[in-house]
Amino acid sequence: MTGPFSTATIIVGLLLAVWALVYLVMNKRVDRYLQIATLGLAVMFVVLAVGGIVQMMGTDKELARAEFVGYLLLSPLIPVGGWWWAKNDETRWGAGVLLVVGLVMPVLVVRIQQVWAGV
Amino acid sequence: MSEHVKARTNQGFGRVLVVVYAIFAVGATARSVIQITRRLDEAPVAYLLSAFAAVVYIVATIALARGNRTSRKVAYVAIGIEMAGVIVIGALSLLVPDAFPRATVWSTFGSGYLFIPLILPPLALWWLRRTE
Repeated sequence: MTGPFSTATIIVGLLLAVWALVYLVMNKRVDRYLQIATLGLAVMFVVLAVGGIVQMMGTDKELARAEFVGYLLLSPLIPVGGWWWAKNDETRWGAGVLLVVGLVMPVLVVRIQQVWAGV
Repeated sequence: MSEHVKARTNQGFGRVLVVVYAIFAVGATARSVIQITRRLDEAPVAYLLSAFAAVVYIVATIALARGNRTSRKVAYVAIGIEMAGVIVIGALSLLVPDAFPRATVWSTFGSGYLFIPLILPPLALWWLRRTE
């Protein structure tokens, strides 16, 4: 849970946030590329969830398992929901939605890592 | 019907507001399901408050996302309760910390969530006024 893949999810989340911020400032609508990036981030969180749960089942370390699984299973819903909510928006604020998504996801990864560490 | 057509709460900046509310709704709901099903006896006041906050966030999210005349009224009520909740619980959690052995989303004015729970209701009320 603290390996390069979770670091990659943080970086992609932040890149999405920067990208969406540029669109927001430039008054651009969400386009196909930003949508693909958002869904790509969602796929990464599905992979993170599967990997995390497999890793959890293979260990008897002390951690809050319900919280851990809850975070992992619910986190992909945020980029998917955000994508759906942003894609039909006809203003710059669709990008604002994806900015929020891009900022929240790295925070979630850090929180998931804390739960994994037993904090 | 000569009713004045109001701007919709779910357009423009309102879309961002809805997504933030939705994240709080999902997060608060998931947290309180875990808390209540596993160990309600540990901190019943805090955990029931978490559940109450979750319901408030769900109602506010749906009301803001629908953006019609009725949902606007519902949003005012839900966000008013949210505002009162974060102020009262925020103050109580500092004045009588023993009553809150476990943190709720509104404890210490939402400091565990970058004070977003404190910023959100005035922002949403401003938005509701602005779109009227």
